[in-house]
Formats: sequence, structure tokens, C-alpha cells
Amino acid sequence: MSVLTVTNLKYRYPAQDKSIFALNDLSFTVGKGEFIGIVGRNTAGKTTLCYALSGLVPHFFKGAYGGDVHIGVMDVLSYEISDIAAKVGLVFENPFSQMTGAKFTVYDEIAFGLENLGIPREEMHERIRASMQLLDIEGLGNKNPFSLSGGQMQRVAIASVIAMKPDILILDEPTSQLDPEGAEEVFRVVGKMAEGGMTIIMVEQKMEKLAAYADRILLMHDGKLIQDGKPAEVFSRDDLELYGVEPPMVVKVSRTLQVRNEETGLYPITQKEMPAELDIAFHVVETSGKNTNTTSEIVVRNLHFGYENGNDVIRGLNVSLQGEPIAIIGQNGAGKTTFVKLLKALLTPQRGEIVIDGVRSTDSTAAKLASRIGLIFQNPNDQIFKNKVIDEVMFGPLNIGQSPEVATENAKAMLELVGLAGKEEENPYDLSLAERKMVAMASILAMDTDIVIFDEPTMGQDYSGKSKVKEIIHSLYEQGKLVICILHDMDFVADTFGRTIIFSEGGMVFDGPTREAFAQEDALRAARVEQPHLTQLARKLGYEGIILKENELQTANMFE
Amino acid sequence: MNNMTLYVKKDSPVHLVDPLTKLLFTFFSITLTYIVSNHLAVLLILLCTFTILVAGKVFKYILPVIGVSFLLILSIIIVQGFFHPDRETLLFEVGPIPIYKEGFSIAFLITLRVVNMVSAFGVLILTTKPDDLVNALLRKGLSPRFGYVLLSVLQIIPQMIALTGKITDAQRARGMETEGGLWLRFKSFIPLLGPVILNSLNETRERSIALEIRGFNAKGPRTYLHKHETYRYGLHLKILLTVIFVAVVVWRFVS
Repeated sequence: MSVLTVTNLKYRYPAQDKSIFALNDLSFTVGKGEFIGIVGRNTAGKTTLCYALSGLVPHFFKGAYGGDVHIGVMDVLSYEISDIAAKVGLVFENPFSQMTGAKFTVYDEIAFGLENLGIPREEMHERIRASMQLLDIEGLGNKNPFSLSGGQMQRVAIASVIAMKPDILILDEPTSQLDPEGAEEVFRVVGKMAEGGMTIIMVEQKMEKLAAYADRILLMHDGKLIQDGKPAEVFSRDDLELYGVEPPMVVKVSRTLQVRNEETGLYPITQKEMPAELDIAFHVVETSGKNTNTTSEIVVRNLHFGYENGNDVIRGLNVSLQGEPIAIIGQNGAGKTTFVKLLKALLTPQRGEIVIDGVRSTDSTAAKLASRIGLIFQNPNDQIFKNKVIDEVMFGPLNIGQSPEVATENAKAMLELVGLAGKEEENPYDLSLAERKMVAMASILAMDTDIVIFDEPTMGQDYSGKSKVKEIIHSLYEQGKLVICILHDMDFVADTFGRTIIFSEGGMVFDGPTREAFAQEDALRAARVEQPHLTQLARKLGYEGIILKENELQTANMFE
Repeated sequence: MNNMTLYVKKDSPVHLVDPLTKLLFTFFSITLTYIVSNHLAVLLILLCTFTILVAGKVFKYILPVIGVSFLLILSIIIVQGFFHPDRETLLFEVGPIPIYKEGFSIAFLITLRVVNMVSAFGVLILTTKPDDLVNALLRKGLSPRFGYVLLSVLQIIPQMIALTGKITDAQRARGMETEGGLWLRFKSFIPLLGPVILNSLNETRERSIALEIRGFNAKGPRTYLHKHETYRYGLHLKILLTVIFVAVVVWRFVS
């Protein structure tokens, strides 16, 4: 018996062109307890599909609607959202806007949906306790939801939805704002729910995780369903990248090595399925230190900072930052963002000093430093405040004294660079979160600063977005700029950065070449980050050292 | 961390009083100052309100709010003092503007009323948790939709402050000078207003989605997580307040 049946679903947003359908003739069914992954590029229509399955389309978002969505025996079109909400739970990307704002403790926040559904009090307490335990947030019950970190908030959001005991749980990129450990936790919980009989539908960019957890994958493109199949089938497609999907690392390696499952002819999709007795040669390609451009230099001495007295977030940092692009990794709450805000003088050190090319940051103001250091915030919503994309991008350049003509030219060039040419006149809030991140990036790059700091630039980006970020980082370095980058995506770190700093609890536990960084198992564990997938895979295949890039695996003596 | 409310957590007898009684007090206190037009009586009511604020240990939190409304008060004094039709007795002059006694007397009365209004609201808002207040009203049959709007209004000031902080950071990060003298700060404050309001409106759309999917518009009967704790003296206080109110109204129209 299927819990969800979609037949010839078509939908167009009210403001959209007559010919553009956000969802274009989708049909599929989902059985009870299945775990479905939805993949595709950022404009594929995945989020719209989530809305359609939860009744927001067509009840909240109006527009042209055709076809049919059945949840069990319930026809979405003829029921109201509040009825559907009892059957279908939806968790989305931005944790902040999922908090209702009507409740002042996490415990009450989780109760919100239950009160609306009219659940008896005793059962409410039970359900709240159970879902808090499941999400491991029992300690947060009395905290104000808005005082939590992004990862904690996301877990509260999931707990709030799970407490309503839906038959189907829909998650739209729920882990994009979380650190690797937080993301893994979400997957574990969701996997457990699926085992318990809950149907899971999840949109994700983390293909390794979908490969490990999903029963089926739907590949979407331009509102159409390209393929509905087993993960191995979908990930074995050779044209995945065309759809903006980067296959799991195992598949990429198998492709190069032409390792296929003998029975099915498909690539292995998880490390477990990879045959261990492969004859592969590894050769380390040393890129670090090759290119020695001189850049600006930031020297940090004995830096201390805390938001509350006696509770330091940064504890005695000493580091010199210059030369090749530097990655900063570590779990949520390790002090990475605080550190870069200090570099940018948005915060003032309590002790110690930061010297940028010989000038102490405390002798300057954030505004004066603006022409020297550019900081791209993690959440673009904290950064964007203009009504038009072009005005947003020109704001910084105009402030630091570029003439309107130069600023316009710069702004246009940068929008082109981040792939947003043609969207100059749009309102940033009508763009997707990934696009807003690109607007925020362009608005800082247009200021042409000597130092550029990125806070989580790959968050929520699809395959092409990530490639673009990588290109930008390389070209900034070519231009002699110092690039510092906070990241949770270890594959991206391995592929892009020569130097890596590992943060843990307000201090550095390692600073050095990336290859050495990923060999520091203790430090990695302390910082709660994993090795890149490729590194893990090479280990599995019997290589003792640290492999960072795909071209370090050789196929030459593979064939018999 | 910012709690996003104006509520001040203190241990006081005023905090214990149930929200509806406090709401009733606020209503009576404000209405009475408009029913009586005797300076002394209004002053007495204001002193009452102040006493309650002091008993609730929140008096110092109301001072900044009164400070902000002072601008309004000042303009009332000047306008009333100068333009009131029965101007006869010159009281004093503010620069070239003569202030007359009759007008000043009225302006003074209005001032007392404004200060009392602000303080009476203070009694309600500073000592009552916003969700307690709204829940109390929901139980009395207020629609959840309206309750949520009310709740948002109660939170809007702290939220604006938090958002202002974020956007200031974003602007400083891109070269806009916000540190420095008062004038510079003031100048940089104006361009902030647009984005702050715009930003909160945009957040509203996502938030309303969040509410929808949590069954906010469900038609069935609601339940409440927290038991309704009846305040022991709630009824007594309500009767007392009503008696005083009626007595004053009677006195006003008889005399």
C-alpha cells in the first residue's frame, strides 16, 4: 500500500512565465517506510515538490495546478494545510525561520504543533520528551529557541515536526547549515525513523549520505523527473554532472578505475561495496607551496575573546596568515566565525592583538578596514539589505570610494563571475538561498580587497556552485590576495586548499599543510571532523598515506 | 543572550498576579485618567501606577520609555502653552515663544496622562510573560491568529534591536562608518531603517510557512501544554478594581 501517490503533477508559480513549469508532469508512488532521496541542481524544482507534497502548493502558494497528489486516501487539493500537517511533516533549510516565535522555550516550541492539533496534555509531555531524546536536545528544554546555534535550532525544528507523528516526513536540505557531525546525527535520526515505519522524503546535496541511507533516488531537472530508481542505478549515470549532481566519491573513483558490480554492471556507491582487493597505484601530487605569491599578512598574537565574562570563545590564539589559501575547519561552536569577525574588527579582542600588514586592528575601525578585508558572512540574510541585486553589490564599492561608473562595472563583472548575470534588477529575496549566497559573495568581491574571508561558501551550493567557488578562490590567489575560508566540506578542503587550520574549543589544534592535517587523527577527532571521503576510500583500498585528489589515484596497472 | 521579549524576570508579587487582572488594571488606569480632568486625581493615579511598578521591581525599566516619549511631551507643552485659545496669563517664555498658564495647565494634564499610559502598559508588559498573556486571552476565546499577531507586536522591539545589530555589522563590514560621534551614528541610523523593516517582512513569509505546517490554522479544539494556574486573589483584585473604577466614574458625574 503506498502512502503517497503523485500523478501527472504540474505546477506553475503565479508570477512565472506561462511556459515555465516549476513542476512538470511528475508521477511516482512511495511506499510506507521508504527513504526517498531527491537530487538535482538548485533550480530543479525540488523545494517546490516538497511544498506540493505538504499541501503548501496549492494552498499557500497559489498558481496554476494540475494533476493529483494523494497522501494515503487524502487528496491534497481538497483538504486544508492543517489537516495535511497532521499526516505530513516538513523541515526546511533555514533553521531560524522555522521557529514559530510564539514560544519562549524549546519545550514549549515543540508543543506548538501539538496544541494546534488538540493533543491531550499528558500525551503532549510524553511526545515532547521522546522527540527531544531522539534528537539529543534534552538539555535545551528551558532555553529560548532563538538563543541556539543553527545546528541546535535545526534539531529543535525536526523534533517539533516529529512530535506531531506524521506518516511522511519531508526534509528539504536539512543539513546544509550543520557541521559534519551534526549532519550525520540528522541522518542517523532520520534513518531510525524510517526503520520505525515513517516514510522519509529528503532533498540533499550530500550524495555520500543519500547513497548510504536512501532506498530510492528521484533525479529531477527543470521540474521534470529524469529518473526514479535505486541509488546505484541513479548514481551510475554518466551524465549526472549535467544535472548539477556530483556523484559520491566512491562512484567517481570507480568511474576512473572502471570498477563495476559484476552482476548489475553498476558502480559501487558506498565504501562497503568497494572490492578491497583492487590493484591500484597511488602517487601523491604535491601542489602545496609550489605557487608562492606574496599576499597581505595577518599576525595574531595571544588573542582572547568571549561574549560573556569568564567564558572565552577564543583562548590564546597565535598564528600568522599569509600566502596560499587557508582552510579553517572544526565543529560548530569551535569559535571559527568569532575568529574571523575579530580579524575583520567587527568584534574587539579582550586581550592580545591582530596586526594586518603592520597595522593593529584596534587602531582602525571595521569600516576603515573594509577596503582591506572582505568578509562574506555564512548566512547571506545577515548581509543583504538592499531591494535590488545590483544596488546590493554596489553598496560596498561606493562606500570605499569607487566612482559610480567603476562600481557599476565592477558589480556587473562580479555578478557575471558568480553566475548571476541578468539578475541585476531582481530583488535578492526572490532568489534562492544558494543564489543569495552568490549575491553576498559578489558584493564583497566587488570591493576588490587584499584579503578575502569566506564563511562556509559551499553551504547549500550544488555541484556547479561549488565548482564556481573553487574557481573564484584560485583566481583570487592568482591575483595575489590572501584567502581564508571556513569550511565544513572536507572533500572541498582536500581538493582546494594547501594549508589547513583545525579549530577546537577556541584554540588551534593544528596548523600546516592539508595533507598533514588530515593525518592528525587525534586532532580531527577533537575537532569532530572526518577525513575527506577520498582519503577514507584510499585507506580502505590499502593506502597508508593521505590521498587528497582524484588524480592521485592511478588506473595504469589496473587492467589485466 | 537576548530573550526577544520586554518581559523582565523578577520575583515579585506583581509578577504573580494573573495576566487578565493586570490587563484590566491597565485598561482602568488609562481610562480613569481621561475620565477625571483634575490634576491632583490624575497625579494620584500615576503615583499608584508607579507604586505598582516599584513593587514589581521594574521601575527602572520604564524610565527609558518615558524618556523617549518626552519628545512628544515637550511638543505638547509648547503647542498647548502657546496656542491654547484661552491664553491670558503669561507664565514664562521659551526663547521668543510665550507660554500661557491656561495652555500649560492642560499640557501638564496631558503629560501626566501620557506618562501614566506608558507606565500602566509597563505594569502589564514588563511583569507578564507574553505567552502567558496571549494564552490567557486564547482561553477567553481570542482567535489564535489574532493572538499570534499580538505576540509578534510584543516581540517586535527586541527583534528590531537584534536585527539592527546584524545589519549594522553588515554595513560596517562594507565600509560604512557607524562608530564615532552622535551625529555620525544618527546619520548611519537612517539608512538602516529601510532594510530592518524590509528584512522583518521577508522573514514573515517563511515564518508563516512554518506556522502553517505546524497546523496553526487547525479548526478542531486546541489543547494547552501548561495547566492554567488560577491566581488565588485574581477574582478579589478584579472586583476591587471594578469597584474603584465605578466609584470614580460615579463621583465624576455626580459632582
